[in-house]
Amino acid sequence: MSNVHDRGTVESFGRWREFRAGMWAWLFHKLTGWILVGYLFTHIAVLSTATESPEMYTDTLQGLEALLIVRFLEIGLLAVAVFHILNGIRLLFVDLGVGLENQDKSFYASLVFTGAITVASVPTFLAGAL
Amino acid sequence: MAEHYSSFERGSLRWLLQRVTAVFLVGALAFHFVLLHFVNHAAEIEFAGTEARMGSLIYFSLMITFLVTATFHGVNGVFNGLVNMGLTGRKKRIVAAVLALASLLLVAQGIRVAIAMGGF
Repeated sequence: MSNVHDRGTVESFGRWREFRAGMWAWLFHKLTGWILVGYLFTHIAVLSTATESPEMYTDTLQGLEALLIVRFLEIGLLAVAVFHILNGIRLLFVDLGVGLENQDKSFYASLVFTGAITVASVPTFLAGAL
Repeated sequence: MAEHYSSFERGSLRWLLQRVTAVFLVGALAFHFVLLHFVNHAAEIEFAGTEARMGSLIYFSLMITFLVTATFHGVNGVFNGLVNMGLTGRKKRIVAAVLALASLLLVAQGIRVAIAMGGF
């Protein structure tokens, strides 16, 4: 809780060696949140330019999907979204007072499941691109 | 207990709304990803399929709710992060106004896109 722990200026990353699981979870949740909200604005902007006509929509989406870098960016976006979802569920439980003693372990579990789901999704995201 | 950090003041309205939208978004974001990347492969999506999905009032309503809650959750998260980093006074009011305006514009444009997709 921000009003209990004096964490100083977390943005001074020189302190990173002192960070414990809770601090890393907070940092990763914040970072993935910034990426997701940035993507939301970009997503609507791209769709706005693509919905001029049905042909432009199909051409835009298929044109983007033809780029290998876009496929890798999608895998990155999936990883970001999955971590934010899993750690978000963990935060909801923490706020309800459930599993407080194990909240560091549930953070590590979020990381492991994010990694597993991301790796398992790679074939789907790269299908037809290589 | 291990340390627990948050950018939110626990018990505040902004904190509560962030949690309520989070519960919805956990399902909505997962559904969006699964439907448009795993059930329908993104590279094979064409306008006709999008129009068929968005033409359903249930799907359209779900996407609009998704847009509104995601915008609120994201912008509220950014705002609380900035407040937590020390944003106060006049700067805080200006940032709140700019973020609120950006949110309204995003939601309005997102609704326009959804209407165009649904062929309404």
